[in-house]
Amino acid sequence: MEIKEIDMRGQICPSTFITALREINLNKNEIKSETFKLVFITDNRDSTVTIPETAENMGYGTTVTKIEQHYRIEIFAARQ
Amino acid sequence: MTFSGELITGLTSLVIGCIAGLVMHRSDFCMAGMMRDLFLFRRYTMLKVLALLVLANMILTEVFRLYGWIALFPYPAFGPPALSNLLGGALFGFGMVLAGGCVAGTLYKMGSGNVISMFAFVGLLIGSTFYAEFHGAWKAFSDATVFAPGKITLPQLLGVSQGATVSAAIVILGIPVLNWWKTGAFVRRSYAAGYLQPWKAALIIAVLVTISVITIGVPLGITTSYSKFGSWFLSLILPEHVRDLAYFSAKPFSYANQLLGIAYSGGPGPGYDGIALIQYPLIFGLVAGGLISSASLGEFRIYLKVPLPQLASGLLGGVLMGLAARMAPSCNIWHLLGGLPILVMQSMLFGIGLLPGAWLGGKFLSGIVLKNN
Repeated sequence: MEIKEIDMRGQICPSTFITALREINLNKNEIKSETFKLVFITDNRDSTVTIPETAENMGYGTTVTKIEQHYRIEIFAARQ
Repeated sequence: MTFSGELITGLTSLVIGCIAGLVMHRSDFCMAGMMRDLFLFRRYTMLKVLALLVLANMILTEVFRLYGWIALFPYPAFGPPALSNLLGGALFGFGMVLAGGCVAGTLYKMGSGNVISMFAFVGLLIGSTFYAEFHGAWKAFSDATVFAPGKITLPQLLGVSQGATVSAAIVILGIPVLNWWKTGAFVRRSYAAGYLQPWKAALIIAVLVTISVITIGVPLGITTSYSKFGSWFLSLILPEHVRDLAYFSAKPFSYANQLLGIAYSGGPGPGYDGIALIQYPLIFGLVAGGLISSASLGEFRIYLKVPLPQLASGLLGGVLMGLAARMAPSCNIWHLLGGLPILVMQSMLFGIGLLPGAWLGGKFLSGIVLKNN
């Protein structure tokens, strides 16, 4: 599984959301291949609402995990 | 004013600010985001929560007004509507989107360690202070564009009672709010630790505003003290210039704490007065609330590796918000949570102005700032 990690710590909305949306669209074929996972690292709490909600509406699977002071949001093919 | 009266007033403001900051941080209660996301992403949930907040404030304020618990009505510092309210609102809307938070959002986010908000805070101080340089010209423009002299609220303009007009507004706003409530439109799914649903935050903030109105005599206000702090800082470098600026020598605000039976006055100048007594603790409380909330969740940390365009955007947004808050006059907290629920026309114009400002801010942010991220 290939993982692309984007560190957005220190950034706030809408920068975090727009960055996530851009990365999801740029990597949509890779994500759908089921061998690729996008990971966003953020300390913006609102991103745990907006990014998973939008990714799921686009048909992707998501998980959110809190790690120390920040959150790890994973975007992957829904069937994984 | 007695020392104990000052202490109680200042402590009340501090506690209100602290609770508001904590609640806003836990619920991601961002008014800049509410307006911005409406245009940028067609997301309405938080705007619906704002409608709930205004409705709750409307009901609470009217009940306490009818029971005679509100000393001065309409609240002091509101005036007749003018074009300056609309233009100030538009500039404020633009600035808060660039800054990534309004005057309150900037404070609680700064308290949680966000560096962009720290830049926005510095911008707010700069903008609020710089306004003094052209206050005379702007005041003349504002006075010349007043279109309902002597009328502050919509009921005064219509010549009908406050109670009847507010009741009608409660019904008009209450119908969609009730519908959203029934369909669960206020609920957000969040994975953030200790998350507080924004609708709960809205009700808590409505109670806090009401407590402020009853105990201190005015709704929550912040921005005059940004000018005050800025003028104090400027007086250390250019004391004669600060003395020469008419804006800093005026003391236009008068309040009354009905419960304690004390009155206070103040203005944007550098000295200690009623504005410093009320607003400095509120500001400190909002920052402390964000700090307490984030620290208790183990989320407080200052990340310095922030893209430069975003820092510049935060600073510029803060400057524009600071300017706009003096030009309007006052900020979104004062107008949307204080003036709008009692149908102050200045606040209505400010709210209308916010919308095109936020739309333009969203365009600028996504088209220029984030493209160069």
